[in-house]
Amino acid sequence: MSRVEHDRTHHAKIATGVGDPQCFKGKAGKAKFKVGDRVRVKDRPDIFYTRTMTYVRGAVGTIVRAVYESPPAEDEAWDNTDNVVWFYSIVFSQRDLWPEYHEVYGGDTLETEIPEMYLEKA
Amino acid sequence: MADHDHKPAPMVDEVSDFEILELAVRELAIEKGLFSAEDHRVWTEYVHTLGPLPAARLVAKAWLDPEYKKLCEEDGVEASKAVGIDWVMTPPTHFGTPSDYCNLRVLVDTPKLKHVVVCTLCSCYPRPILGQSPEWYRTPNYRRRLVRWPRQVLSEFGMQLPEDVEVRVADSNQKTRYIVMPVRPEGTEGWTEDQLAEIVTRDCLIGVALPKPGITSNAKRPVLKAKNPVHHDH
Repeated sequence: MSRVEHDRTHHAKIATGVGDPQCFKGKAGKAKFKVGDRVRVKDRPDIFYTRTMTYVRGAVGTIVRAVYESPPAEDEAWDNTDNVVWFYSIVFSQRDLWPEYHEVYGGDTLETEIPEMYLEKA
Repeated sequence: MADHDHKPAPMVDEVSDFEILELAVRELAIEKGLFSAEDHRVWTEYVHTLGPLPAARLVAKAWLDPEYKKLCEEDGVEASKAVGIDWVMTPPTHFGTPSDYCNLRVLVDTPKLKHVVVCTLCSCYPRPILGQSPEWYRTPNYRRRLVRWPRQVLSEFGMQLPEDVEVRVADSNQKTRYIVMPVRPEGTEGWTEDQLAEIVTRDCLIGVALPKPGITSNAKRPVLKAKNPVHHDH
């Protein structure tokens, strides 16, 4: 069997002097969502690794910033940087995340980042 | 059965499983040529130079300079350069740090909005500008509870917030790292940047404390005994 030699310093080479996520800038194409959009976090299946927390899955939030472009951690964990996507910072109402969150504190929020493939228009 | 049957915890210094794992991974990485032993030494020395002073300085500068404050809000990486931190070039790798990346966001508090930072997935922390995270920041207790019961956790840190102040938890789950810029406290009128920087403690920058004239160090963590302690029967 032939074996393709994988360059394990590939990431260092593209990011040196540039930074990460800066080294992926311009590689994700057009952003699908814009600031102010209401989005739902999809409950996609993940194999072995994810950085999309269970507690945000299924919840609807508001995009406050398109933060950067990067391969999703779910791919990057396996050194796969082929599929660069937009990441969005999303603000959720705490009441939409936790059923018991008290209405007195209805203004409380949580902000976190989610890669585009986990999002759908709400 | 009886409590006194417990074997005492070993008193000798032991190498933990995680330390062994780190050693094994490090040696493999060196063997495979990902980095050299020299790289590792340089890196370790760099890490030991880090602390919260640059972040404190950033906040103090922003309190005095509205233009700089705007830059902090828009581009934390660019704003960090004014306090001597280049997120790309300062770390010896010259591409940031392996787990911190190069995307700082400065979360600006207002009298009606209080930010607090956590990493529920692990312990992501803006190390280049804030140093090593405190032990409590990495505990499952803080990470699990802060996202769900932020007001209760903050009150354990001594911060009681009124209902009309919005609490916003930032969960640093991806490549962005956060610091909090608290509201400049009363009683600091006419202060210099040096004076202001002194009261911006690490805890203020994580968001679990508020700056106060005269307070220049982190409060001691209360140690609370477990209500239902775990009993081992070995």
